[in-house]
Amino acid sequence: MDVSNILASHAAKFQSVTVEKETPLDVDTGFLTVTDPNPIDEETYNSNREEYLQSTARDGIQSLFASLFTLPTQASPDGPLAKLPPPTTQLPRSKPLPKPKPPTKWERFAAAKGIQHKVRDRREWDEEKQEWVSRWGRNGKNKQKEEQWITEVPANADADYDPVKAVRDERKARVAKNEKQKIANQARAAPSERDQRKKEIDTTLATTRISTASMGRFDKKLEGEKNLRGVKRKFDPTESNETKNSLAIMSKLASDSKKSKKESTHGDDVLNVRKAIRTASRGRGGVALGRESGGRGRGGKRGGKR
Amino acid sequence: MTFPLYQCSRTPKSARSKRAMDARQPKEIEDPRTAIFVKGTHTGEVLNGAMKELMALKRPNAISFSKKNTVRPFEDASSLEFWAQKNDASLFVVGQSTKKRPDGLVFARTFDGRVLDMCEVGVEEFVGMDKFKTPKSTPGHKPMMHFASELFDTHPRFIQLKSLLMDFFNAEVIDSICLPGLEHVISVSLAPTPTSLNGAQEDDPKNLPKVHFRTYTVRLLSSGTRIPRVELTPMGPSLDLTLRRHQTADPELWKAAMRRPKMKKTEVEKGLGKKRKNMEVDEMGDLRGRVHVMKQDLGKLQTRKMKGLKARAGEEVDEEIGMEEGASRRKKPRVESL
Repeated sequence: MDVSNILASHAAKFQSVTVEKETPLDVDTGFLTVTDPNPIDEETYNSNREEYLQSTARDGIQSLFASLFTLPTQASPDGPLAKLPPPTTQLPRSKPLPKPKPPTKWERFAAAKGIQHKVRDRREWDEEKQEWVSRWGRNGKNKQKEEQWITEVPANADADYDPVKAVRDERKARVAKNEKQKIANQARAAPSERDQRKKEIDTTLATTRISTASMGRFDKKLEGEKNLRGVKRKFDPTESNETKNSLAIMSKLASDSKKSKKESTHGDDVLNVRKAIRTASRGRGGVALGRESGGRGRGGKRGGKR
Repeated sequence: MTFPLYQCSRTPKSARSKRAMDARQPKEIEDPRTAIFVKGTHTGEVLNGAMKELMALKRPNAISFSKKNTVRPFEDASSLEFWAQKNDASLFVVGQSTKKRPDGLVFARTFDGRVLDMCEVGVEEFVGMDKFKTPKSTPGHKPMMHFASELFDTHPRFIQLKSLLMDFFNAEVIDSICLPGLEHVISVSLAPTPTSLNGAQEDDPKNLPKVHFRTYTVRLLSSGTRIPRVELTPMGPSLDLTLRRHQTADPELWKAAMRRPKMKKTEVEKGLGKKRKNMEVDEMGDLRGRVHVMKQDLGKLQTRKMKGLKARAGEEVDEEIGMEEGASRRKKPRVESL
């Protein structure tokens, strides 16, 4: 049985989904972005710009879809969800990375002892009421003893013993203790004044060391003085343009522009031209002298209406 | 100098303001960037239209400043920085039309409340959405982006432009996307590269090719395979842009902005990040390694000593040849389980 005809007709019915380009397209599926590194075809661009732009965009998006539709999917009420890989293009962040929180004293202790962190539920099961009640806050279980209508009093209690007040004080003390620990943890996390001062002195010292005429290069080193930390040395690039640099120096030396200027203005040794001009023009310079003597007509033209 | 709000040592007075402050804290995986659209002292009809439609593409993460502002981002970026921290935004589009630079749009982005880099483009031609009588995309849907030209990989100006535009429209990192929700494409192509650009890289923006910013909606046709055939329809807006002034990022600031969070252990094992040589996690989740073992020299192996096996004077040459053969085959790796 020959099926080539059927196959051909089937192929004709659907247009191709493959994209062939000289350089393969660069698809970043994570950012839904495709970059076409092929150069723009000038002829087609000039003859029919909009169509050309659309067709290149279509090719690019086709290849993006090809990679999107091969991703593993998950069904959802709105249609299939494609699991995207992490993006390959690196874009700058808008805010710095979050700083890790300094560990509290308890956290440090727990880490040393290998105690696992356990999340405590906000609610607690009440056996008497047979329901879930909050651990603290409004109608909290921690206030149960304060609110019950009858309380057992120890036999050796004082005459003015108030069981409700005793329980309440105990609870308040726990809260106060927690607050105190919190403040202590915060104080521990903040850099100490001594450390800050030390840092300040170090930076001042480093600044003064490079504030000499040679920027600290030829200073006498004191005994026991340490090298400056964090100083980056700079080097010329390895593939330097040494010839260019030396040629620039050579040409500078050869031209000696100052010298030639001097010679040209001075004229011969007998008459100091510069001095003569200064005297003749009464210190206003050669240009003013020339304008006064010869260039009346020209000067008028120049000063005319513009 | 202004500081971002999250850096202030102020303690929030109510739970609501605390939530608002926490929402602005730096996060490991960042929220989508918000863009602020600012009008300069004078904006023409073209710029007004262009900014409005760019904002339509950027919605809902866009804030429009309706009043005019005396702002010159390239001379003094302090007001941008102030707005960035006040609105918790990190992208700016500033429209300003002057005699020297008609119809200019400045794209700027900030890092940590400071301007990172900027790029000014001139709008040569603008065709709005309403000029195309075609279906439009749903606002808020994520666009696909397409960049066409080799200059986006080679020329620093266009690398910056690509990075800026990607940051503008598509920078949010997401782990999955709804495939029927992919509706529109933003295509940025360049005019043919002028020959003067290939040789010495001139910094004159007049030599740089034009940028064609086009938007299309996507139609998917069945193709008989799993992958559909894609057809595009122009949607608008479409802009022709020329590059003008720019400001590159300060290297220190750029380095800080490009810092990535530390990888989790599971991600490293999956093969992300730094490649670990000769180690891989197999399908069962076991870490397997390959160890290279040198070829053993069996010639020197001490076997049972017998009188009959003793080497005689004539046989020494033979043995050496055998050893050399062993040495040439030495570098074959051997797979062993850890």
